[in-house]
Amino acid sequence: MSDKEHIKSLIKEAEIYRKQSLLEPSKEKYEEALRLIQNHESYSKGKKLIDTIKSKIRTVEENLVEIDQATDTPELSQEVENLISQLFSFSKNKDVAAMEGAIALAKFGQYDNALAAFRRLIKEGNMPLLAAKNILMCHMTLSSPDAAIAQFRQWVSRDEFSMKNLGYIRTFLENALLKQGIKAGLPQVAEASPEEGKPEEKEEDIIDIASVTIQFTNGPRKGEIVEFDVTFQLGNKISTIIPAHQKDLADAFKPGLRLSEIQCFSSLAVFNGRGTVSGLKRITSGPRRGDYSLDITIDSV
Amino acid sequence: MAVFNSRDRVIECKLVYYGPGRSGKTTNLEYIFKAGKKYTNSEMVSINTKGDRTLFFDFLPIGLGKIRGCDIKVQLYTVPGQAKYSSTRKLVLKNVDGVVFVADSLQIRRKENFLSLKDLQQNLAEQNMSIFKIPLVIQYNKRDLGEQGIPIMPVEVLERDLNSKLKVPSFEASALKGKGVGDTLKKCLVLTLHHLQKELKWSQ
Repeated sequence: MSDKEHIKSLIKEAEIYRKQSLLEPSKEKYEEALRLIQNHESYSKGKKLIDTIKSKIRTVEENLVEIDQATDTPELSQEVENLISQLFSFSKNKDVAAMEGAIALAKFGQYDNALAAFRRLIKEGNMPLLAAKNILMCHMTLSSPDAAIAQFRQWVSRDEFSMKNLGYIRTFLENALLKQGIKAGLPQVAEASPEEGKPEEKEEDIIDIASVTIQFTNGPRKGEIVEFDVTFQLGNKISTIIPAHQKDLADAFKPGLRLSEIQCFSSLAVFNGRGTVSGLKRITSGPRRGDYSLDITIDSV
Repeated sequence: MAVFNSRDRVIECKLVYYGPGRSGKTTNLEYIFKAGKKYTNSEMVSINTKGDRTLFFDFLPIGLGKIRGCDIKVQLYTVPGQAKYSSTRKLVLKNVDGVVFVADSLQIRRKENFLSLKDLQQNLAEQNMSIFKIPLVIQYNKRDLGEQGIPIMPVEVLERDLNSKLKVPSFEASALKGKGVGDTLKKCLVLTLHHLQKELKWSQ
Protein backbone atom coordinates (compact mmCIF):
# COMPACT_ATOMS: atom_id res chain seq x y z
CA MET A 1 0.00 0.00 0.00
CA SER A 2 1.39 3.39 -0.97
CA ASP A 3 1.59 6.21 1.59
CA LYS A 4 -1.26 7.96 -0.16
CA GLU A 5 -3.44 4.86 0.01
CA HIS A 6 -2.51 4.30 3.62
CA ILE A 7 -3.50 7.84 4.58
CA LYS A 8 -6.75 7.59 2.63
CA SER A 9 -7.57 4.29 4.30
CA LEU A 10 -6.89 5.72 7.78
CA ILE A 11 -9.12 8.72 7.11
CA LYS A 12 -11.87 6.47 5.77
CA GLU A 13 -11.63 4.28 8.83
CA ALA A 14 -11.77 7.32 11.09
CA GLU A 15 -14.84 8.61 9.24
CA ILE A 16 -16.69 5.33 9.60
CA TYR A 17 -15.87 5.02 13.29
CA ARG A 18 -17.10 8.58 13.76
CA LYS A 19 -20.37 7.75 12.01
CA GLN A 20 -20.66 4.72 14.29
CA SER A 21 -20.13 7.00 17.30
CA LEU A 22 -16.96 5.09 18.10
CA LEU A 23 -15.28 8.37 18.82
CA GLU A 24 -12.10 7.30 20.59
CA PRO A 25 -11.02 4.95 17.78
CA SER A 26 -12.05 7.60 15.26
CA LYS A 27 -9.82 10.17 16.93
CA GLU A 28 -6.93 7.70 17.05
CA LYS A 29 -7.19 7.02 13.33
CA TYR A 30 -7.35 10.73 12.44
CA GLU A 31 -4.31 11.33 14.63
CA GLU A 32 -2.47 8.46 13.01
CA ALA A 33 -3.24 9.90 9.58
CA LEU A 34 -2.15 13.37 10.72
CA ARG A 35 1.17 12.05 12.03
CA LEU A 36 1.82 10.29 8.73
CA ILE A 37 1.04 13.42 6.75
CA GLN A 38 3.12 15.72 8.96
CA ASN A 39 6.12 13.39 8.70
CA HIS A 40 5.76 12.93 4.97
CA GLU A 41 8.16 14.69 2.69
CA SER A 42 5.61 15.99 0.17
CA TYR A 43 2.24 15.76 1.98
CA SER A 44 3.50 17.77 4.95
CA LYS A 45 3.37 20.86 2.78
CA GLY A 46 -0.35 20.44 2.16
CA LYS A 47 -1.65 22.89 4.76
CA LYS A 48 -5.27 22.49 3.67
CA LEU A 49 -5.25 18.73 4.24
CA ILE A 50 -3.59 19.11 7.64
CA ASP A 51 -6.11 21.77 8.69
CA THR A 52 -9.03 19.62 7.58
CA ILE A 53 -7.85 16.67 9.64
CA LYS A 54 -7.12 18.87 12.64
CA SER A 55 -10.62 20.29 12.38
CA LYS A 56 -12.09 16.78 12.27
CA ILE A 57 -10.11 15.82 15.37
CA ARG A 58 -11.46 18.92 17.13
CA THR A 59 -15.04 17.98 16.19
CA VAL A 60 -14.57 14.46 17.51
CA GLU A 61 -13.07 15.84 20.72
CA GLU A 62 -16.04 18.18 21.13
CA ASN A 63 -18.42 15.27 20.63
CA LEU A 64 -16.53 13.28 23.25
CA VAL A 65 -16.87 16.12 25.74
CA GLU A 66 -20.58 16.48 24.96
CA ILE A 67 -21.13 12.79 25.58
CA ASP A 68 -19.08 12.87 28.73
CA GLN A 69 -21.09 15.79 30.07
CA ALA A 70 -24.49 14.50 28.94
CA THR A 71 -26.96 13.98 31.75
CA ASP A 72 -27.55 10.47 32.97
CA THR A 73 -30.97 11.41 34.22
CA PRO A 74 -32.84 13.05 31.37
CA GLU A 75 -36.27 14.50 31.80
CA LEU A 76 -38.75 11.94 30.59
CA SER A 77 -42.31 12.42 29.49
CA GLN A 78 -45.06 11.29 31.85
CA GLU A 79 -45.89 8.58 29.33
CA VAL A 80 -42.36 7.13 29.44
CA GLU A 81 -42.25 7.34 33.21
CA ASN A 82 -45.52 5.45 33.42
CA LEU A 83 -44.06 2.88 31.05
CA ILE A 84 -40.98 2.47 33.25
CA SER A 85 -43.17 1.98 36.33
CA GLN A 86 -45.23 -0.56 34.46
CA LEU A 87 -42.39 -2.49 32.79
CA PHE A 88 -40.26 -2.78 35.86
CA SER A 89 -42.88 -3.81 38.39
CA PHE A 90 -42.82 -7.56 38.38
CA SER A 91 -45.04 -8.59 41.27
CA LYS A 92 -48.56 -9.89 40.80
CA ASN A 93 -49.53 -8.18 44.04
CA LYS A 94 -50.87 -4.76 43.08
CA ASP A 95 -49.47 -2.98 46.12
CA VAL A 96 -46.03 -4.54 45.78
CA ALA A 97 -46.08 -3.77 42.05
CA ALA A 98 -46.82 -0.10 42.82
CA MET A 99 -43.82 -0.05 45.13
CA GLU A 100 -41.60 -1.77 42.54
CA GLY A 101 -42.70 0.77 39.94
CA ALA A 102 -41.73 3.65 42.22
CA ILE A 103 -38.38 2.01 42.99
CA ALA A 104 -37.78 1.56 39.24
CA LEU A 105 -38.26 5.29 38.73
CA ALA A 106 -35.65 5.92 41.41
CA LYS A 107 -33.28 3.43 39.82
CA PHE A 108 -33.63 5.22 36.48
CA GLY A 109 -32.76 8.47 38.18
CA GLN A 110 -36.25 9.97 37.98
CA TYR A 111 -35.99 11.04 41.60
CA ASP A 112 -38.63 13.76 41.60
CA ASN A 113 -41.28 11.45 40.27
CA ALA A 114 -40.07 8.58 42.40
CA LEU A 115 -40.43 10.83 45.45
CA ALA A 116 -43.94 11.76 44.35
CA ALA A 117 -44.79 8.08 43.90
CA PHE A 118 -43.40 7.14 47.33
CA ARG A 119 -45.33 10.02 48.94
CA ARG A 120 -48.48 8.79 47.23
CA LEU A 121 -47.87 5.31 48.63
CA ILE A 122 -47.54 6.73 52.13
CA LYS A 123 -50.78 8.64 51.69
CA GLU A 124 -52.53 5.50 50.50
CA GLY A 125 -51.12 3.55 53.42
CA ASN A 126 -49.36 1.19 51.03
CA MET A 127 -46.14 -0.02 52.67
CA PRO A 128 -45.59 3.42 54.24
CA LEU A 129 -42.45 2.40 56.10
CA LEU A 130 -40.73 1.11 53.00
CA ALA A 131 -41.90 4.16 51.07
CA ALA A 132 -40.47 6.42 53.78
CA LYS A 133 -37.14 4.61 53.70
CA ASN A 134 -37.01 4.97 49.94
CA ILE A 135 -37.80 8.67 50.14
CA LEU A 136 -34.85 9.06 52.47
CA MET A 137 -32.64 6.96 50.17
CA CYS A 138 -33.67 9.11 47.18
CA HIS A 139 -32.57 12.21 49.06
CA MET A 140 -29.34 10.55 50.12
CA THR A 141 -28.62 9.39 46.56
CA LEU A 142 -29.17 12.91 45.36
CA SER A 143 -26.38 13.80 47.78
CA SER A 144 -28.80 15.77 49.80
CA PRO A 145 -28.64 14.48 53.36
CA ASP A 146 -30.06 17.80 54.54
CA ALA A 147 -33.21 17.14 52.56
CA ALA A 148 -33.47 13.69 54.12
CA ILE A 149 -33.11 15.21 57.60
CA ALA A 150 -35.66 17.92 56.77
CA GLN A 151 -38.07 15.26 55.53
CA PHE A 152 -37.68 13.32 58.76
CA ARG A 153 -38.28 16.47 60.82
CA GLN A 154 -41.44 17.08 58.81
CA TRP A 155 -42.69 13.56 59.54
CA VAL A 156 -41.99 14.04 63.22
CA SER A 157 -43.99 17.27 63.24
CA ARG A 158 -46.96 15.65 61.56
CA ASP A 159 -49.15 12.64 62.33
CA GLU A 160 -48.23 10.62 59.29
CA PHE A 161 -46.44 7.88 61.24
CA SER A 162 -46.89 6.27 64.63
CA MET A 163 -44.18 6.76 67.25
CA LYS A 164 -43.07 3.16 66.72
CA ASN A 165 -42.55 3.68 63.01
CA LEU A 166 -40.95 7.07 63.49
CA GLY A 167 -38.45 5.46 65.82
CA TYR A 168 -37.71 2.85 63.22
CA ILE A 169 -37.33 5.45 60.45
CA ARG A 170 -35.09 7.48 62.71
CA THR A 171 -32.75 4.53 63.26
CA PHE A 172 -32.70 3.84 59.54
CA LEU A 173 -31.83 7.45 58.69
CA GLU A 174 -29.27 7.68 61.47
CA ASN A 175 -27.45 4.62 60.08
CA ALA A 176 -27.66 5.89 56.49
CA LEU A 177 -26.17 9.23 57.55
CA LEU A 178 -23.45 7.56 59.58
CA LYS A 179 -22.43 5.56 56.52
CA GLN A 180 -21.75 8.89 54.82
CA GLY A 181 -19.85 10.09 57.86
CA ILE A 182 -22.61 12.45 58.97
CA LYS A 183 -23.61 12.63 62.60
CA ALA A 184 -26.83 14.59 62.61
CA GLY A 185 -28.88 15.70 65.57
CA LEU A 186 -32.10 14.06 64.53
CA PRO A 187 -35.16 14.92 66.61
CA GLN A 188 -35.92 12.31 69.23
CA VAL A 189 -39.14 10.45 69.11
CA ALA A 190 -40.95 9.16 72.20
CA GLU A 191 -39.22 6.17 73.73
CA ALA A 192 -40.85 2.86 72.86
CA SER A 193 -40.49 -0.43 74.69
CA PRO A 194 -38.32 -3.02 72.91
CA GLU A 195 -41.43 -4.79 71.68
CA GLU A 196 -43.07 -1.58 70.59
CA GLY A 197 -39.83 -0.55 68.92
CA LYS A 198 -40.39 -3.08 66.19
CA PRO A 199 -41.92 -1.58 63.09
CA GLU A 200 -45.61 -2.14 62.54
CA GLU A 201 -45.00 -3.02 58.93
CA LYS A 202 -43.62 -6.49 58.63
CA GLU A 203 -44.27 -8.48 55.51
CA GLU A 204 -44.62 -5.42 53.34
CA ASP A 205 -41.44 -3.89 54.61
CA ILE A 206 -39.10 -6.31 52.88
CA ILE A 207 -38.75 -6.00 49.17
CA ASP A 208 -36.40 -6.73 46.33
CA ILE A 209 -33.78 -8.72 48.18
CA ALA A 210 -31.09 -9.79 45.74
CA SER A 211 -29.12 -12.08 48.02
CA VAL A 212 -28.73 -13.10 51.64
CA THR A 213 -25.96 -14.34 53.86
CA ILE A 214 -26.94 -16.59 56.71
CA GLN A 215 -24.83 -17.41 59.72
CA PHE A 216 -25.58 -20.63 61.56
CA THR A 217 -25.83 -19.81 65.23
CA ASN A 218 -26.11 -23.37 66.54
CA GLY A 219 -25.76 -27.00 65.51
CA PRO A 220 -22.76 -28.61 63.83
CA ARG A 221 -22.38 -25.73 61.41
CA LYS A 222 -22.32 -23.09 64.14
CA GLY A 223 -20.39 -20.01 62.98
CA GLU A 224 -20.44 -20.97 59.31
CA ILE A 225 -21.68 -18.32 56.89
CA VAL A 226 -23.40 -19.22 53.65
CA GLU A 227 -24.54 -16.95 50.86
CA PHE A 228 -27.52 -17.41 48.58
CA ASP A 229 -28.98 -15.48 45.68
CA VAL A 230 -32.70 -14.94 46.04
CA THR A 231 -34.54 -16.58 43.16
CA PHE A 232 -38.04 -15.64 44.15
CA GLN A 233 -39.63 -13.32 46.63
CA LEU A 234 -43.16 -12.69 47.71
CA GLY A 235 -43.40 -10.15 50.48
CA ASN A 236 -41.27 -11.40 53.34
CA LYS A 237 -40.93 -14.91 51.93
CA ILE A 238 -37.80 -15.54 49.94
CA SER A 239 -36.75 -18.62 48.02
CA THR A 240 -33.32 -19.73 47.03
CA ILE A 241 -31.79 -22.75 45.35
CA ILE A 242 -29.25 -25.10 46.88
CA PRO A 243 -27.50 -27.22 44.24
CA ALA A 244 -28.03 -30.98 44.41
CA HIS A 245 -24.38 -31.64 45.25
CA GLN A 246 -24.72 -29.56 48.43
CA LYS A 247 -27.13 -31.99 50.03
CA ASP A 248 -25.38 -31.65 53.39
CA LEU A 249 -26.04 -27.94 53.34
CA ALA A 250 -29.67 -28.44 52.36
CA ASP A 251 -30.08 -30.92 55.21
CA ALA A 252 -28.94 -28.26 57.64
CA PHE A 253 -32.03 -26.17 56.83
CA LYS A 254 -34.76 -28.18 58.52
CA PRO A 255 -38.17 -26.52 58.23
CA GLY A 256 -38.84 -24.58 61.41
CA LEU A 257 -35.16 -23.80 61.99
CA ARG A 258 -34.77 -20.34 63.46
CA LEU A 259 -32.24 -18.14 61.65
CA SER A 260 -31.22 -15.23 63.79
CA GLU A 261 -28.36 -13.90 61.66
CA ILE A 262 -29.55 -13.05 58.16
CA GLN A 263 -27.98 -10.25 56.19
CA CYS A 264 -30.14 -9.10 53.28
CA PHE A 265 -28.70 -7.30 50.27
CA SER A 266 -31.02 -5.18 48.17
CA SER A 267 -30.12 -2.65 45.52
CA LEU A 268 -30.98 0.18 47.87
CA ALA A 269 -29.74 -1.06 51.21
CA VAL A 270 -28.18 -3.83 53.21
CA PHE A 271 -30.03 -4.81 56.36
CA ASN A 272 -29.97 -7.50 59.00
CA GLY A 273 -32.91 -9.70 59.73
CA ARG A 274 -34.17 -12.83 61.39
CA GLY A 275 -36.35 -15.54 60.01
CA THR A 276 -37.44 -19.13 59.93
CA VAL A 277 -36.96 -21.91 57.41
CA SER A 278 -40.50 -22.29 56.08
CA GLY A 279 -39.88 -24.96 53.48
CA LEU A 280 -37.30 -27.19 51.87
CA LYS A 281 -38.12 -29.40 48.94
CA ARG A 282 -36.35 -31.28 46.19
CA ILE A 283 -37.09 -29.92 42.72
CA THR A 284 -38.43 -32.79 40.66
CA SER A 285 -38.72 -31.29 37.20
CA GLY A 286 -37.31 -28.61 34.94
CA PRO A 287 -33.73 -27.46 34.51
CA ARG A 288 -33.18 -27.34 38.28
CA ARG A 289 -34.29 -30.93 38.80
CA GLY A 290 -32.45 -32.49 41.72
CA ASP A 291 -31.59 -29.17 43.36
CA TYR A 292 -33.24 -28.01 46.56
CA SER A 293 -35.64 -25.11 46.88
CA LEU A 294 -35.26 -23.43 50.26
CA ASP A 295 -37.95 -21.06 51.54
CA ILE A 296 -37.26 -18.62 54.34
CA THR A 297 -39.78 -16.34 55.99
CA ILE A 298 -38.16 -13.19 57.25
CA ASP A 299 -40.08 -11.96 60.25
CA SER A 300 -38.02 -9.09 61.52
CA VAL A 301 -35.46 -6.67 60.20
CA MET B 1 -39.94 -14.91 33.56
CA ALA B 2 -42.74 -15.25 31.06
CA VAL B 3 -46.29 -14.65 32.19
CA PHE B 4 -48.78 -17.33 31.22
CA ASN B 5 -52.39 -16.33 31.58
CA SER B 6 -54.00 -19.75 31.34
CA ARG B 7 -57.56 -18.38 31.39
CA ASP B 8 -57.11 -16.12 28.37
CA ARG B 9 -54.33 -18.33 26.99
CA VAL B 10 -51.90 -15.48 26.58
CA ILE B 11 -48.15 -15.83 26.99
CA GLU B 12 -46.02 -12.75 27.46
CA CYS B 13 -42.30 -13.21 27.19
CA LYS B 14 -39.27 -10.98 27.30
CA LEU B 15 -36.33 -10.96 24.91
CA VAL B 16 -33.32 -8.78 25.59
CA TYR B 17 -30.75 -7.60 23.05
CA TYR B 18 -27.40 -7.51 24.84
CA GLY B 19 -23.95 -6.55 23.65
CA PRO B 20 -21.24 -3.91 23.80
CA GLY B 21 -21.99 -0.24 23.26
CA ARG B 22 -22.57 0.76 19.63
CA SER B 23 -22.76 -2.84 18.42
CA GLY B 24 -26.17 -2.27 16.83
CA LYS B 25 -28.75 -3.45 19.37
CA THR B 26 -31.00 -0.44 18.87
CA THR B 27 -30.54 -0.67 15.10
CA ASN B 28 -31.86 -4.24 15.27
CA LEU B 29 -34.98 -3.08 17.09
CA GLU B 30 -35.45 -0.12 14.77
CA TYR B 31 -35.37 -2.42 11.77
CA ILE B 32 -37.80 -4.86 13.40
CA PHE B 33 -40.10 -1.95 14.19
CA LYS B 34 -40.01 -0.62 10.63
CA ALA B 35 -40.22 -3.98 8.93
CA GLY B 36 -42.78 -5.52 11.24
CA LYS B 37 -45.32 -2.76 11.72
CA LYS B 38 -48.13 -5.25 11.20
CA TYR B 39 -47.04 -7.07 14.37
CA THR B 40 -47.28 -4.07 16.63
CA ASN B 41 -49.72 -1.32 17.46
CA SER B 42 -47.26 0.39 19.74
CA GLU B 43 -44.45 2.79 19.12
CA MET B 44 -40.88 1.87 19.88
CA VAL B 45 -39.65 3.62 23.00
CA SER B 46 -36.01 4.69 23.12
CA ILE B 47 -34.37 6.57 25.92
CA ASN B 48 -31.09 7.90 24.56
CA THR B 49 -28.39 10.29 25.52
CA LYS B 50 -25.96 12.27 23.36
CA GLY B 51 -24.64 10.52 20.28
CA ASP B 52 -27.72 8.29 20.09
CA ARG B 53 -26.36 6.09 22.81
CA THR B 54 -28.96 4.09 24.68
CA LEU B 55 -29.19 5.49 28.17
CA PHE B 56 -31.80 3.26 29.78
CA PHE B 57 -33.31 0.85 27.30
CA ASP B 58 -35.27 0.52 24.08
CA PHE B 59 -38.61 -1.19 24.23
CA LEU B 60 -40.72 -2.68 21.47
CA PRO B 61 -43.74 -4.88 22.10
CA ILE B 62 -44.78 -7.21 19.29
CA GLY B 63 -47.50 -9.79 18.87
CA LEU B 64 -46.92 -13.07 17.10
CA GLY B 65 -50.55 -14.16 16.94
CA LYS B 66 -51.66 -17.60 18.05
CA ILE B 67 -49.22 -20.49 18.42
CA ARG B 68 -50.55 -23.81 19.72
CA GLY B 69 -53.69 -22.11 20.90
CA CYS B 70 -51.94 -19.35 22.80
CA ASP B 71 -51.68 -15.70 21.97
CA ILE B 72 -47.97 -14.88 22.06
CA LYS B 73 -46.87 -11.41 23.04
CA VAL B 74 -43.20 -10.56 23.03
CA GLN B 75 -41.48 -7.63 24.64
CA LEU B 76 -38.18 -6.73 23.00
CA TYR B 77 -35.68 -4.74 25.00
CA THR B 78 -32.16 -3.50 24.50
CA VAL B 79 -29.74 -2.71 27.29
CA PRO B 80 -27.35 0.23 27.37
CA GLY B 81 -24.04 -1.19 26.23
CA GLN B 82 -21.67 1.23 27.90
CA ALA B 83 -19.84 -0.34 30.82
CA LYS B 84 -20.95 2.34 33.28
CA TYR B 85 -24.64 1.44 33.00
CA SER B 86 -24.24 -1.89 34.72
CA SER B 87 -27.13 -1.47 37.17
CA THR B 88 -29.52 -0.56 34.35
CA ARG B 89 -28.50 -3.66 32.44
CA LYS B 90 -29.26 -5.78 35.49
CA LEU B 91 -32.68 -4.21 35.85
CA VAL B 92 -33.56 -4.64 32.18
CA LEU B 93 -32.34 -8.23 32.26
CA LYS B 94 -34.63 -9.10 35.16
CA ASN B 95 -37.08 -11.90 34.31
CA VAL B 96 -35.62 -12.32 30.81
CA ASP B 97 -36.73 -15.33 28.77
CA GLY B 98 -34.35 -15.15 25.83
CA VAL B 99 -31.26 -13.20 24.81
CA VAL B 100 -29.81 -11.98 21.52
CA PHE B 101 -26.16 -11.11 21.94
CA VAL B 102 -25.20 -8.53 19.32
CA ALA B 103 -21.46 -8.72 18.78
CA ASP B 104 -19.55 -6.06 16.88
CA SER B 105 -17.55 -7.49 13.97
CA LEU B 106 -15.12 -4.56 13.97
CA GLN B 107 -11.62 -5.67 14.86
CA ILE B 108 -11.20 -2.77 17.26
CA ARG B 109 -14.19 -4.02 19.30
CA ARG B 110 -12.88 -7.51 19.97
CA LYS B 111 -12.21 -6.94 23.66
CA GLU B 112 -15.55 -5.15 24.18
CA ASN B 113 -17.44 -8.15 22.78
CA PHE B 114 -15.71 -10.47 25.16
CA LEU B 115 -16.25 -8.22 28.18
CA SER B 116 -19.91 -7.74 27.36
CA LEU B 117 -20.51 -11.48 27.06
CA LYS B 118 -18.82 -11.98 30.41
CA ASP B 119 -21.01 -9.23 31.87
CA LEU B 120 -24.09 -11.02 30.52
CA GLN B 121 -22.97 -14.26 32.11
CA GLN B 122 -22.46 -12.56 35.48
CA ASN B 123 -25.74 -10.68 35.38
CA LEU B 124 -27.64 -13.83 34.48
CA ALA B 125 -25.90 -15.70 37.29
CA GLU B 126 -27.08 -13.02 39.71
CA GLN B 127 -30.60 -14.02 38.74
CA ASN B 128 -29.72 -17.68 39.18
CA MET B 129 -29.79 -18.18 35.44
CA SER B 130 -27.10 -19.84 33.39
CA ILE B 131 -25.83 -18.48 30.12
CA PHE B 132 -25.51 -22.10 29.05
CA LYS B 133 -29.19 -22.80 29.66
CA ILE B 134 -31.04 -19.64 28.65
CA PRO B 135 -32.25 -19.43 25.04
CA LEU B 136 -29.44 -17.46 23.43
CA VAL B 137 -28.52 -16.44 19.90
CA ILE B 138 -25.40 -14.56 18.85
CA GLN B 139 -25.41 -12.05 16.02
CA TYR B 140 -22.20 -10.91 14.34
CA ASN B 141 -23.21 -7.46 13.23
CA LYS B 142 -21.68 -4.92 10.83
CA ARG B 143 -20.48 -7.53 8.35
CA ASP B 144 -21.06 -4.99 5.57
CA LEU B 145 -18.21 -2.81 6.82
CA GLY B 146 -15.71 -5.37 5.57
CA GLU B 147 -16.79 -4.54 2.02
CA GLN B 148 -15.80 -0.95 2.67
CA GLY B 149 -12.27 -1.95 3.60
CA ILE B 150 -12.75 -1.56 7.33
CA PRO B 151 -10.95 -4.24 9.36
CA ILE B 152 -13.51 -6.72 10.64
CA MET B 153 -12.94 -10.07 12.28
CA PRO B 154 -13.57 -13.25 10.32
CA VAL B 155 -16.59 -15.15 11.59
CA GLU B 156 -14.29 -18.01 12.61
CA VAL B 157 -12.46 -15.69 15.00
CA LEU B 158 -15.72 -14.39 16.45
CA GLU B 159 -16.99 -17.93 16.86
CA ARG B 160 -13.80 -18.93 18.61
CA ASP B 161 -13.88 -15.87 20.86
CA LEU B 162 -17.52 -15.93 21.81
CA ASN B 163 -19.16 -19.17 20.89
CA SER B 164 -16.65 -21.98 21.33
CA LYS B 165 -18.11 -22.97 24.70
CA LEU B 166 -21.67 -21.77 24.30
CA LYS B 167 -22.22 -23.40 20.91
CA VAL B 168 -25.44 -21.46 20.34
CA PRO B 169 -26.91 -20.50 16.94
CA SER B 170 -25.14 -17.53 15.40
CA PHE B 171 -25.91 -15.25 12.49
CA GLU B 172 -24.01 -12.77 10.37
CA ALA B 173 -25.84 -9.48 10.07
CA SER B 174 -25.82 -5.92 8.84
CA ALA B 175 -28.56 -4.51 11.00
CA LEU B 176 -28.49 -1.12 9.30
CA LYS B 177 -29.51 -2.83 6.08
CA GLY B 178 -31.76 -5.31 7.84
CA LYS B 179 -29.66 -8.27 6.77
CA GLY B 180 -29.74 -11.09 9.32
CA VAL B 181 -32.02 -9.20 11.70
CA GLY B 182 -35.12 -11.29 11.00
CA ASP B 183 -33.24 -14.60 11.10
CA THR B 184 -31.66 -13.73 14.44
CA LEU B 185 -34.97 -12.74 16.01
CA LYS B 186 -36.78 -15.73 14.56
CA LYS B 187 -34.24 -18.19 15.94
CA CYS B 188 -34.28 -16.58 19.36
CA LEU B 189 -38.08 -16.66 19.41
CA VAL B 190 -38.15 -20.32 18.41
CA LEU B 191 -35.64 -21.24 21.12
CA THR B 192 -37.46 -19.15 23.73
CA LEU B 193 -40.92 -20.48 22.93
CA HIS B 194 -39.61 -24.04 22.86
CA HIS B 195 -38.04 -23.46 26.26
CA LEU B 196 -41.22 -21.90 27.62
CA GLN B 197 -43.29 -24.72 26.29
CA LYS B 198 -41.26 -27.08 28.44
CA GLU B 199 -41.30 -24.76 31.46
CA LEU B 200 -44.94 -23.75 31.36
CA LYS B 201 -46.15 -27.04 29.91
CA TRP B 202 -48.36 -25.10 27.56
CA SER B 203 -49.84 -27.03 24.69
CA GLN B 204 -53.12 -27.19 22.92
